[in-house]
Amino acid sequence: MTPVVIAAWPAFSAAVVAAATSLGYQVAAEATNLKKSAIATQNAAGKIQMEIENSEVMTNQLGRDQRIAVTKGGVTITFSRDARGKASLCVTGEGHDKEELKALGQELSQAVVQQYVYQKLMDEMRARGFNVIEEETNADRSIHLKVRRWDN
Amino acid sequence: MPQREFDITIGKDGNVELHVKGYKGKGCLEAIKMFQQIVGEIQSEQRTSEFYEPEEVVRFNIEQRH
Repeated sequence: MTPVVIAAWPAFSAAVVAAATSLGYQVAAEATNLKKSAIATQNAAGKIQMEIENSEVMTNQLGRDQRIAVTKGGVTITFSRDARGKASLCVTGEGHDKEELKALGQELSQAVVQQYVYQKLMDEMRARGFNVIEEETNADRSIHLKVRRWDN
Repeated sequence: MPQREFDITIGKDGNVELHVKGYKGKGCLEAIKMFQQIVGEIQSEQRTSEFYEPEEVVRFNIEQRH
């Protein structure tokens, strides 16, 4: 297995890993040399390329030649940053039509943005002296947090 | 000693709903500004009746930028 190098782009890749594992994916590879194997997979399978909605909050975290791939049930989703600086993903999988691939990509990209916002909020709130007094994930997969601070 | 509290709901699409408690006047606006810096532009704002009481309670929806 390709070594997973998370330190180079911690916030984005942490969000990808958290979101992907919550949806049952496994991290397949993360590196700048992922390109060749990703292209080989794409040539042999159904493929769809998508931008990540709301990705501007996290594009600064992602270098242009950095990628991370996750897999589940024969579907591989590769995250990268496009030439305009927008985070995008490529979904490939044999035996899946484009609509299925698109739905899987949208589900995961939303989860990545949610995880990124969650991590960022937690970091910023703690840095500002707030304590998390409630945290739960609702049935609709929204995350509820209650944070509190006592000021002098 | 005033209590500052945020009720935060992060939707599955990353949009954030925020419920602010314990900030008065400019303090409340500064608290909202802080959230804008962290997660993005305000999409909508709803001031509850408590907003006009000494302790403010305000609801905001913050949308990620596309």
